[in-house]
Amino acid sequence: MSDPRAPDRDASLSTLGTRPPFYRDATVVRWIAQVGTLILVLAAMWFLATEAGDSLRARGANIDFDFISDHIGIKVGWGIDTNPDTGGRALWVGMVNTIRMAAAGIALASVVGVLVGLARLSSNWPLRRLAGVYVEALRNIPLLVQILVYAAVLASLPNVSFGMGPIPGWVHLSNKGLSIPRVFIADGFYQWAVVMLIGGVIARVVFKRLAARREQTGMQTNAGAWATGIVAVFAIAGWWVHPIFGWLGGIFDGLSDAVGSIPQGAVQLVAALAAAAVAVWWIRRFLAQHRTPAGLVRLTDDDWFRMIFAVAGAAIVVLFVAVLWPGLSSWIVNSSSDGLGVLADKFGNGRTGAPIDAMRPDIVQPGNFPNYGPAGLNLPIGFAAVYFGVVFYTAAFIAEIVRGGILAVPKGQSEAAQAVGLRRSTALRRVILPQALRVILPPVGNQYLNLTKNTSLAIAVGYSDLVQIGQTVYNQTGKTLQVMAVWMLFYLACSLTISAAVNFFNIRLRIVER
Amino acid sequence: MTDPMPPAAPSALAAEPVGPAASPPDRPSLPPGRWIRENLFPNARNSILTVFAILVALFTYRGLLNFMFSEERSWIAVRTNLRLMFTQAYPEHQYVRVWVTVGIVMVLAGLSAGIWARWGGVTLKRLMGWLMSGGGLIAVGVLIREPSVLTDAAGETVRDDAGELVRESFAAAMADRWVWWAVALVLFALGLALWLRFDDLARRTSEIPVAWLVFGLPGLLVASTWVIRYGHYAFADGEFIAEPGQLVAMSTRVPWTVMWLLLIGCYGLGRVARERAIASAQAAADASDDVEVAEEGAGGEGAPELPRGALAKTRAVVNLAWVLSPFFLYWVVMRDPEIDYAHVFSTMLPMGLAFGVAGSAVLWWLTRSDAGEVGRLAAIGLLLLAAFHWVAAFFGWYSMLQVARIAFLLLAVAGLLAPNFAGVAAQRRRLVGAWLFVVLLVFYGATVINAPSTIETPTDMFIGGFSVTLLVSVLTIMLSFPIGVLLALARTSRQPIFRVLSTVYIEVIRGVPLITLLLFFSGVLPLFLPDGMEIAELAAAILGYTLFSAAYLAENVRGGLQSIRRGQYEAADAVGLTTTQRTGFIVLPQSLRVSIPPLVGQVIATFKETSLLAIIGLFDFLRMANSVVPNQSQFLGVRREGLLFISVVYWVVAFAMSKYSQRLEQRVGLGQR
Repeated sequence: MSDPRAPDRDASLSTLGTRPPFYRDATVVRWIAQVGTLILVLAAMWFLATEAGDSLRARGANIDFDFISDHIGIKVGWGIDTNPDTGGRALWVGMVNTIRMAAAGIALASVVGVLVGLARLSSNWPLRRLAGVYVEALRNIPLLVQILVYAAVLASLPNVSFGMGPIPGWVHLSNKGLSIPRVFIADGFYQWAVVMLIGGVIARVVFKRLAARREQTGMQTNAGAWATGIVAVFAIAGWWVHPIFGWLGGIFDGLSDAVGSIPQGAVQLVAALAAAAVAVWWIRRFLAQHRTPAGLVRLTDDDWFRMIFAVAGAAIVVLFVAVLWPGLSSWIVNSSSDGLGVLADKFGNGRTGAPIDAMRPDIVQPGNFPNYGPAGLNLPIGFAAVYFGVVFYTAAFIAEIVRGGILAVPKGQSEAAQAVGLRRSTALRRVILPQALRVILPPVGNQYLNLTKNTSLAIAVGYSDLVQIGQTVYNQTGKTLQVMAVWMLFYLACSLTISAAVNFFNIRLRIVER
Repeated sequence: MTDPMPPAAPSALAAEPVGPAASPPDRPSLPPGRWIRENLFPNARNSILTVFAILVALFTYRGLLNFMFSEERSWIAVRTNLRLMFTQAYPEHQYVRVWVTVGIVMVLAGLSAGIWARWGGVTLKRLMGWLMSGGGLIAVGVLIREPSVLTDAAGETVRDDAGELVRESFAAAMADRWVWWAVALVLFALGLALWLRFDDLARRTSEIPVAWLVFGLPGLLVASTWVIRYGHYAFADGEFIAEPGQLVAMSTRVPWTVMWLLLIGCYGLGRVARERAIASAQAAADASDDVEVAEEGAGGEGAPELPRGALAKTRAVVNLAWVLSPFFLYWVVMRDPEIDYAHVFSTMLPMGLAFGVAGSAVLWWLTRSDAGEVGRLAAIGLLLLAAFHWVAAFFGWYSMLQVARIAFLLLAVAGLLAPNFAGVAAQRRRLVGAWLFVVLLVFYGATVINAPSTIETPTDMFIGGFSVTLLVSVLTIMLSFPIGVLLALARTSRQPIFRVLSTVYIEVIRGVPLITLLLFFSGVLPLFLPDGMEIAELAAAILGYTLFSAAYLAENVRGGLQSIRRGQYEAADAVGLTTTQRTGFIVLPQSLRVSIPPLVGQVIATFKETSLLAIIGLFDFLRMANSVVPNQSQFLGVRREGLLFISVVYWVVAFAMSKYSQRLEQRVGLGQR
């Protein structure tokens, strides 16, 4: 509200008894304008919606979400499931691919960005210039062009052949993409995770105790080292002893049976009610926090939006549960059994193997030409092109943000750190970076968001992300609007998640003022 | 690992601000040996970093050069298709339209450069540095590039028994590249000569105008086409012509020379106008001695001070020309509309005249000093009537030409503005004059927009390539700017409904990727339109870009709005400004000035984002390089060359804009107060 004026002039006018005619009364005119605009917007939307409905009906298409659970025959190039049964499952594969790409991209882009940003501040002339050239070169070329360049370069690599490199048997690079050793979750993983969870809880308790003692006595207690050690001990021991948790499978089995015997309608009803109840509980708690003995404190815009989002979120959940329930379970787990059944299977007694396993890539020759076998982690060209594209592009922006953030820390801070005798590395870790982080985090969060959205450019090189698969789905089913609605919801959810995470850390980092 | 402390002894990574401003030009330069010792190898860690950085740089450079000069490259594909990439296939006899367009832009650019004339200079020292490092880079490149592949008499590459390509010896390669050696030596020698000639610090830091470089280098390039035999490659009626060792075709050389002369000539004209204005203002100042001489910002390259308002009118005209020229160029020059004169004389002309005359009369009456409440009510009535025409047309109650509805609406808006011009005769004349100009523009625009194009091209789009990229960027920026400002004002307004609507719009648009929006507008939008209404592919795309860009612009403008102090609002209220006046004269000018850097950033982003047009199936710059050229039978699969070429073009434009924005920032004094 950049209009922080004192109370309305109209009030003082009316006290003089010279109230203007209604069409010149600022309050009335403002409300007429607002309500008029609202009506106009709603009317336009209503009109467009009816038009769309008419044209769709004329083409014999209805606005429904049947394609989510209907069988369609599409092939996905790369993902958790290359032959998805249903439209919903196909979109889910796309979402997973998008999330994979975004998460891997964010991780590497942060590392590259911070390194380049620090290099830009280096006192070493060649390094500084090199980093400067990197930033200026990459951020001024459209990302799509960069992705296509990577794709074109990768596509011109040699064909797959036996004994190929760069590191034969470990890393293979060809015009089919990159093939590297695959680390994967093996049989015992879930039981091992339970062991780790117990270890984590114990480590946390120990850490808190030791940290508290350090606060009290001022003695060095090495809380972090102890906690890390405990987790490590549990992880190593758990590698062999995890099968003792096999009985969990039986419990989930029983739960699954029990839930399965409840009629579906009841489950839907309970889930919908639960979502609504959570929303009500949350809003009540929220209001209670803002209540002073005198009554309710003034709610800001953000507060109102938070409450509206809570209601909207609950409404969406209710809608999904009520309308799309049959599709949802097949969507996510691609089997008729429910989530509990899957868990029962994962924890099953028979599973006693190592928690995590790895396999080296192989090369097979099923037909005339050698090709990558299924053992390794095979990343297609599309993946590599989009990945390199978004990582290096975003890293250039992150580097500039990091540089700006470090420059924003007053020089006195580093001088003071030096004066109290901190080593340079300690000063960087304890004085400079924590303060710079406060400046850096919000814009970097924005860059993470951009990266996530930019993964949608995968459509240009045929990497099967949500947009690419969505386009295939609507080309086949004609449900364009519905697919676009799914896109919108998904990306908005991503945005909200990332900005919530950034907000969370931002609040943690905030200077505690008196 | 890293270390941001200000170094007592130089450390590897120091938090010392080492930006562009870090090395002041007047620092005495060290002798090269000491400079290398102190900057590159002061201690073990720094030496390792130096070696690492230099190795990375050399390998990247070598890879790039090997790629560019590899015998497998087919740069002829790019050379041959330059026209296609920039304008798509215009028929030869219509190609003059392209040149007229470029010419108009050159005239405006030259005039603006002359009139604003705030170029600044480059110190001789930097120029010497550029020359010497340019020469050095070329020399290093010649040394590290791998030797060329040997060819036999028939031009076929030679392979040894193992099937590997045979390359010439290092010495032979060096001897073969004598031209490059010569260029490197000449550049280096030029730099060195300047260095030796201007040996004292004062002369080394003296500046030569940037304008010389900006105009001189293209001039050299254009002149060289008359002398150097670059070779002639083209498609003539689908026939592939390749004549290496020829001069560039006359149809390229002559227009570019004319363009360059136009640019220089108009720059000179602009300078003359500027000098005259300054001279006359100074004469007036000498005569009366009370003309306020205003210094323009903090740029300061020693340009003569321009009195406030001396060139205001000229500048306004040039600005207006810039704003109108994209539309004029697109609808009139590039497209050659086939105007139906019968319709013009029977309908458009009389209607335009009627609107001009009647509208002038109405406005003249509304601006009477005694119009008062009745005048306002009449204007509101006019607005309601104008709005009703649109509703009626929408539901088909009665038909009225669209241009008439637009004119009615504009008249109503002018009527609402009338009280601001009331009373003084000169003000009233100005409003009426503006109205006549607007009527002329609207009716002329409607005539040319609705006329079909006569340009015959293979596809139904009559422009393509880089011109589409530019057109979409320019129109998107121009259209999204007002929407963005409105959204920002609404989001910061005290009216809850405006605020909520604007916030929801901005957040939703910013939350989704651009490509989904473009797919929506290019694929689904037709579903939403009423029967019989169509929207061209390009217009749909521009609409999508505009709505997307507006949300981002709004956030940039909002940042500026929030920086305005409360006192500004209070002061505006205290002197009795209305809300509109306060926003237009006090708040927006200040906040837009603050938002210049992010706004230019958004302009660059929009320019880069136009490459997404290739995905939704329009023939933009990227599409030409990525799919059109590689599909030509002569150049099947030649993709990487084109992509590298367009990367360079995109880079040059975006980099120039970002540099310009940095200068602009310094000039308006951001970050200095």
